[in-house]
This record gives sequence, C-alpha cells and structure tokens, in this order.
Amino acid sequence: MTEIIDQHQEGKRDVTFRVFRFNPQVDSKPYFDDYTISAERGITVLRSLNYIKEHVDATLSFRAFCQAGICGSCGMRVNGISKLACTSQVWDELDKCREPGIIRVEPLRSLPMIKDLIVDMDPLVDKMTRYSNWIDSTMPLADMGKKEFLISEEEFQQYDKATDCILCASCVSECSILRANKEYVSPAVLLKSYRMNVDSRDGIHDLRLAELVKDHGVWDCTHCYRCQESCVKSIPIMEAIHAIREDALESRGPRDTSGAKHAEAFMEDIEKKGKLVEATLPIRTNGVVWTLRNLLPMAMKMIVKRRTPPPPPLVKSAKGIKIFRAMFREMTEHVKQDHLKSHKK
Amino acid sequence: MKPFDIVIVGGGGAGLYAAMEAMKTNPALNIAVLSKVYPNRSHTSAAQGGANAALANKAKDDSVEMHIFDTIKGSDYLADQDAVDVLCSEAPKIIRELENIGTPWSRMEDNTIAQRPFGGAGRPRCCYCADKTGHTILQTLYEQCLRKGVLFFNEYFALNLSVHGSRSRGLIAMNMKTGKVEAFPAKTVIFATGGYAKMYWNRSSNAAGNTGDGQAIAYRAGIPMKDMEFVQFHPTGLRKSGLLVTEGARGEGGYLINKDGERFMARYAKEKMELGPRDLVSRSIETEILEGRGFDSPAGKYIHLDLRHLGADLIKSRLPQIREMSLNFEGVDPIEEPIPIRPTAHYSMGGIDTDNFGRTVMDGVYAAGECACVSVHGANRLGGNSLLDILVFGRIAGHTAAEEAGKFEPGSISEEELRESVEEIRTRMQPSGHYERYGALREELGQTLALNVGIFRESSLLHKGIQDIAELKERFKKVRVFDSSDVFNTNLQQVLELKNMLDLAETVAVGALAREESRGSHTRIDFPVRDDEKWHKHTLATLVDGKAIPGEKPVTMGRYELQERTY
Ligand SMILES: Cc1cc2nc3c(=O)[nH]c(=O)nc-3n(C[C@H](O)[C@H](O)[C@H](O)COP(=O)(O)OP(=O)(O)OC[C@H]3O[C@@H](n4cnc5c(N)ncnc54)[C@H](O)[C@@H]3O)c2cc1C
Ligand code: SF4
Ligand code: SF4
Ligand code: FES
Repeated sequence: MTEIIDQHQEGKRDVTFRVFRFNPQVDSKPYFDDYTISAERGITVLRSLNYIKEHVDATLSFRAFCQAGICGSCGMRVNGISKLACTSQVWDELDKCREPGIIRVEPLRSLPMIKDLIVDMDPLVDKMTRYSNWIDSTMPLADMGKKEFLISEEEFQQYDKATDCILCASCVSECSILRANKEYVSPAVLLKSYRMNVDSRDGIHDLRLAELVKDHGVWDCTHCYRCQESCVKSIPIMEAIHAIREDALESRGPRDTSGAKHAEAFMEDIEKKGKLVEATLPIRTNGVVWTLRNLLPMAMKMIVKRRTPPPPPLVKSAKGIKIFRAMFREMTEHVKQDHLKSHKK
Repeated sequence: MKPFDIVIVGGGGAGLYAAMEAMKTNPALNIAVLSKVYPNRSHTSAAQGGANAALANKAKDDSVEMHIFDTIKGSDYLADQDAVDVLCSEAPKIIRELENIGTPWSRMEDNTIAQRPFGGAGRPRCCYCADKTGHTILQTLYEQCLRKGVLFFNEYFALNLSVHGSRSRGLIAMNMKTGKVEAFPAKTVIFATGGYAKMYWNRSSNAAGNTGDGQAIAYRAGIPMKDMEFVQFHPTGLRKSGLLVTEGARGEGGYLINKDGERFMARYAKEKMELGPRDLVSRSIETEILEGRGFDSPAGKYIHLDLRHLGADLIKSRLPQIREMSLNFEGVDPIEEPIPIRPTAHYSMGGIDTDNFGRTVMDGVYAAGECACVSVHGANRLGGNSLLDILVFGRIAGHTAAEEAGKFEPGSISEEELRESVEEIRTRMQPSGHYERYGALREELGQTLALNVGIFRESSLLHKGIQDIAELKERFKKVRVFDSSDVFNTNLQQVLELKNMLDLAETVAVGALAREESRGSHTRIDFPVRDDEKWHKHTLATLVDGKAIPGEKPVTMGRYELQERTY
C-alpha cells in the first residue's frame, strides 16, 4: 500500500493529556484522567480534546465553538496557565510541561465548577451588569439612527484595544485577588468599565465610577500584572486599571477610600517635595507591599505624564525602607515603559 | 412556566436585535432569549470585514439606490427586489443606531464612520471596526440587552416546536446545565439560530455550532425551507479545519500555486489573477484539484497560498492574523512555507422561508438572520450584506412579533409533549449492541457534501450525495450517547446537532438536483448557464411524511430587469 506523503507532517509525538475530571452527579471530588494520543505538528490542544472526546472518552466535557480564537468559549488552564485551548499548540506546550510529555489541562479558577473543564460564567455576567458595562447613550431617543456622533481617532485609540476583549475569563482565572475574594470586580470588568468611561457617547460615567470605587472595586487590585500577562488578546489591562484610579482621584478627589486618600497625599509628596513625609506615608498603616502595589504605579504614572520621574524619595527611617527603595526603582521602570508603549501605539 | 409573549431562539446579532426592538415596541411584553452558547460567543463575532450601508461618508456619490442595484445583481437576480429595498434603505439608519449605542466603528479623517471597498460593491460602503466588526457589533448588542434587562436563558438547547394545528404554542428546550427538558409556552417564537454551512464539517469556515438547528426544528414542524441549494464557498479555507484565511492574504499579493508550481489563476482570470471574485477563484482552485494538479495529504487535497515573496516584514506587519491562524491551525509559518488551503463552505443563503416582516407560513412563528431566507441574498450574498441582513431583519422580526403577539392566545405545552422530547433523548442514551460513532458520521456527511454537493455539481454526483445522506440517516438511528450524565452533556448535544444537519443536508442536495441551471453559487456542470425561463424562481422544500417535497415560489421583481451578471 502506498502511503500518502504529506510534507507538512514530518512527525508525530506521543502526548499524555492529564485532564481534570469532575461530574457533580457522581463524583464527590475531582480527579485526573490520563489520555495518551499521538499528536502531529500543528495540532492544537482543542483539537486533541476533540479527538479524545470522539475516539476515546465521549464523557469528557469542555466548551468550544469558533475554534479560531474569536469567541472566547474554550478558556482553560493548560500547564497551569489560563488560555484558549483552540490557539494553543500541543508541541509548544510540550516544552512547558512540568513532567515531560504530560500536558495538564484544568478548568479556569475563580468561577464555579460545573463539570470537567466547564465553569459557570454567570458571575462574570452579573458583574458586567453591576458595573454598568454598557454605553448609556447621550443621543436623544428621537435622534437615534438619524445622525452620527463625531469621534476622533484619538478617542477611538483609547478604547480600541479594550474592545478586543472576548470575555474568555483567562484574566479572571489568573487574578490573585479574585482567588481570595470572589466579590472582587474582576480584571475583564474593570477593562470594560474603563472602555465605557472614556467613550464620549456615554452619559453615566459618574455613576459607573461611583460603583467602581466602592468595596471590592478598583482599589482592591494589587497591581500584580497577572491579568495583563495572561490576556489572550494582549490587552494592556493594567493601563485601564491605572486610568480608572487616576480618573477617580481627578474627578472625585481623595474622598472615597483610604486608598484614594493615601494615593493623593503620596503623589503630592513625591511630586512637590521629592521625598516622602512620614506623616502621610501610608507604609506604616498599610505595609510596604500594599503601598507599593496600590499607590506607587498610579502616582508615578500621574507624574510621568507631566514630567520626568523624580529620583527615589528620601524617607526617614521606616520599617522595610530598603525593600521599599528597591521596589520603587523597579516599579518606576515598569510604569515608565508602560507609558512609553501606550504612546507609541 | 408563565407563558411568554415572545421567545427568541438565538443570541447572535439577529436574535439580540430582535429582543431589543421587541422591548422597545412594547415594554410590557414578557420576552425571553434562549441561546445554546452565551450570546457573546455567537458566530456573529467571527465576521471581520464589515457591514454595508450607503452612508456616503467615503464616496459622496454613493446612494441607497446603488446599494440596491449591487445587491440584486450580486444575487444573480434571485433576490426579492422589495426585500432588498428594505435592506438597503434601512441600512444607514441601523448602522447609525448601532453607532449611537456604542459600537466602536473605525473613523474617517472627518470623524465620521469609516467605510471601505468590498467585493461586488460599486462604492466603498462597507462600515467596519478594524478587523473585528462582528465582534464589536455583538458586544454592543449584548451590552444593551444587559442594560435593558433582557431575560436570557443561556446554554439552553432548543429541541422542538410545539405545534397545534396551524400554529405554534411555544418551544421545548433542554437546559444544558441540568439536562432538564423544559417547556417555553409562548404566543410567538422567533428563530435566529444562524447558518447551516457547518454541515460541510471540516470543509467549512463556520463555528462548530452552526448546525442549522432552528431551520431543522422549523422544517420538522412543517415550515418550508427556501433556496437551500445556495451555499457560498470562500476560496481560501485552511486544509485541515476549513477555517478562513481572509481575503487580505490575496489582497496583499499572495499567490495561488498548484503542485506543478504554476500560478494557475492565469488560466482563469488573466488580468485579475488571484483577485478575481470569490466564486470564480473557488471554482478555479477546485478545478485544479479535480484535474489532478493539487497536493495530496491525509487531511485531503489542497493547493498552496504562497506569501513568502512578500517578505517577513510585510507578513508580520500587515498580515499578522493570517500568520497566527496558519501557525495555530496548520503548524505552518507563511514566512517560510506556503499555506495549504482549499475552498470552504462559508455562508448559507437558504433558510426558513419568511416574508419581508419575518413571518413564516405558521402563525406565531418568525425567523431572521442567516437562518431565514427573505430573500435578500438570492443565489449569492455580497460580502458585508449579511451582518446588515441580521440587523435589519432581526429588528423587523422583533417588531412584528411584538405587534402581533396580542393576536394569539397564550399557548400551553402539555406534559405529554415534553415526555415525547425526553423519550427521544432517552432512547439515544440506551446502550445497544451495534452502534455508530457520531464523529465518523459527521465527518462522512461533510465529505459527501463537499464532494457531491460542493462547488461543482452534476446530476450523477447529486444522486450519489442524496443516496449517501439517506444512508447516513439510516446509520444515525444507531448512534448512541455514551455520556449518561444530565449535567452539561455535550456528547448528547453534538448528536442532536448531527441529526439537524442530516435533515437539512437532504434539502440542500434535493434542491441542488432540482435546479437544472447555474446561478450564483450554484454551479451545475451539466447545466452551465443561467436559465431564467425555467429557473428564475425560489425553490422550497417541505417535510411531508419524512421526505423533502419540492415546491417553488416566484421572485418578486421591481425596477430592475434581468441582466447577465458580469463584473
Ligand atoms: C468567518 C466568517 C466571516 C464573516 N464575515 C462577514 C462579514 O465580514 N460581513 C458580513 O456581513 N457577514 C460576514 N459573515 C456572515 C455573518 O457573520 C453571519 O451570517 C451572521 O453573523 C449570522 O448572524 P445570526 O444572528 O443570524 O446568527 P449567529 O450569530 O450564528 O447566532 C446564532 C445564535 O443561535 C443560537 N442557537 C443556534 N442553535 C440553537 C439551539 N438549538 N438552541 C438555542 N440556541 C441556538 C446560538 O447560540 C447563537 O446565539 C461571516 C461569516 C463567517 C463564518
Ligand atoms: S493586577 Fe489587579 S486585576 Fe490584575 S490580576 Fe492583579 S489584582 Fe487582579
Ligand atoms: S481581558 Fe483578555 S484575558 Fe480577560 S477576558 Fe478579555 S480577552 Fe480574555
Ligand atoms: S473555541 Fe472560540 S475561542 Fe476557542
């Protein structure tokens, strides 16, 4: 028999998928199943799962729809990282395995489990509703459809990237705060809120913002950057979060939360005096890490916008000040680069 | 459950617009939207190109009239001219309305909505948002529905229409999360379930769920399907998956190459070469393959789309998405290797027969979007007209249903009927000695359709196709569901989708055999020319005693007389 030669298929590799299983009807707790298949170059994790479902185990359950990275259905954790199964190459994943040849596949975190790799998306939808993730148009009803708003390229640029979001919930699954606090607004919802708030067609900016500064809102974020690092559409989510905070300070003043108040004082200190005054320094009340994560990036960003960043602040001895200095430098760099990037776009 | 005034099946562009409009028409109505996926996942999100409207932002001399003519000509004169009139006249209004409620359209220098040229259009009138038009339209509509508090039943799979005499009493659907079969008694039902091109399976650009469920449900309830034989093929689908490589690749100067290394388009379109119209390029590629000049592989025959001469820089800067697709789905980097491609089933022109208000022949049942056939696309849809279709007619169907819901008595669905639907599922789940694998059947269906009811059609091929489908239907009786769980049983869902595809496939093949002419996307080798005398009419397929019975319907003419379609 002659074999059909396919020049694109130089080889196959044996791969074991170690898949998280849980069927609430019969299982008291989750377990893992191993499926070993032979995978050719170019095959994705989703196609492998489809293969397993069709040929090995029809009970394996997961979501998939477009199979092209567009619809956001197939978010799951592959080798520990939340991503889309349909755009993840098996051969690439083989290089990232903790145990050679074994790819771990698990459901997204921080959303209720339904079955196997399927989690409940309703909490995310509920949050989109709570934070009014829609445009409440300022166009009078009678004029709807009759004329256009005029929108500048600059404005469009502000939310262009944010509208790439496909609500796959990868960032939600990676968010460190959400794992501890399920009430937390969520990175994707912050991103969407930002997108609405910078849109000149919208009429409920203040209302949305007022909700965002409440408990479990924008001030709870720790700036760990994990959402941004895992975003399947490479959206600079952190920029959106910074922007909401800046906006909150600018349009609401330092009146909402301890976070906002501290940030304002903190920023003024650095900006005006080039040093931190102990009296307003939030380190003592909230700890070094909290201060750095919550206040510094935003304060820096606000300053960088206007002029070159100041030198590391002089601070009288406070506990943990050494770490503080080192982290300050690192963060400044982070923020500066973010800033540069966003201006190059 | 309390009876609904309107149950909308489908949360894509058509379904969501219908919901919004119905609420606006009568806020007191009790409306529900059912969708087998979260609405924002619907296939509308895949549309990249844009939506047509004669806004005249770009070409000042563009007009609704020109849009109408382009559409009628594009349809190869099979579209109903009064319907096209509605489509194109409503277009500017609907695009602006979307703009008013938040769709982030790309902008022109004067800050108005940007427009670009698109195939078959005499003026640049395609409104777009970068390469994510469908995605942003769908997001906008979903956001607005959340804002208005539309009642969603997400991840509900519609099973059957409850029919009593000449009217429907509502819908029966399965809650995927619990596996429970539930009744949705309703005065009116709107189908907005999208297209059926996925029946070509790996030879289709569509999402896995574009299995024509709504059409199949309506068909089984006795509602006629219209013009089912018209399926549009896109020339460049990826070999293994059928996923789309957009026109951009050829627009930037990509070559189509056969196994002898020839740029074969020289044979078919000397001047335009790779940039000829979609149907011509598709036919050319298919001819090369049929005449033995394609490459061979276990995943099927194919030809090359070669971008290498464009250079790494251009590919990276201008065609990043195409490169990503090719890497992700073929494992091929177009900078170093040509992309293996083959034409792919892309859009279904046919669907549930409706009038210009979205009404079907059954009282209280409406349809809109790709699952309906009004018909505005006739034998061939123009790029950018389909998003427009789902918006315009989604809205109209929502409006009509809201106005007419009051005419109908509230329906009720009996326990008996629910039990029938459950029973159907239960038998599937019973083990049997000899069984068939649904995966194999699904693939075989795709293959026979691509081969026998594909781009080139011919009497003996079509007979073979019809026979294959009948056999597959027979074998389907032995398909079993191996997942016995009630919770999110995707195994069961896929089996039910296969059943829908099999039922509809028959209507596509039967329609194609009946239509003894070549028009638009339908090419008969044995009847190579358009035959207006015999075939300037719509075909219908109605299910009677388990068989597709052919029928016909005249085309509504208007200002434009029949002409030859040349570009
Ligand atoms: C790759 C690609 C690119 C395209 N590009 C363009 C373009 O540039 N311009 C253009 O105009 N058109 C384009 N099209 C066509 C266009 O996108 C579609 O025709 C259109 O989006 C269909 O919208 P719809 O609302 O009718 O259906 P869909 O968006 O497909 O929605 C169908 C809905 O029905 C639901 N549903 C289906 N079955 C069931 C069931 N059994 N139970 C419950 N719910 C169900 C689904 O969950 C979904 O919510 C493109 C198509 C493809 C495939
Ligand atoms: S940066 Fe904030 S939103 Fe993002 S993952 Fe960390 S805590 Fe969550
Ligand atoms: S922000 Fe990125 S990772 Fe998060 S849901 Fe949107 S696309 Fe997915
Ligand atoms: S299946 Fe749609 S994003 Fe993966």
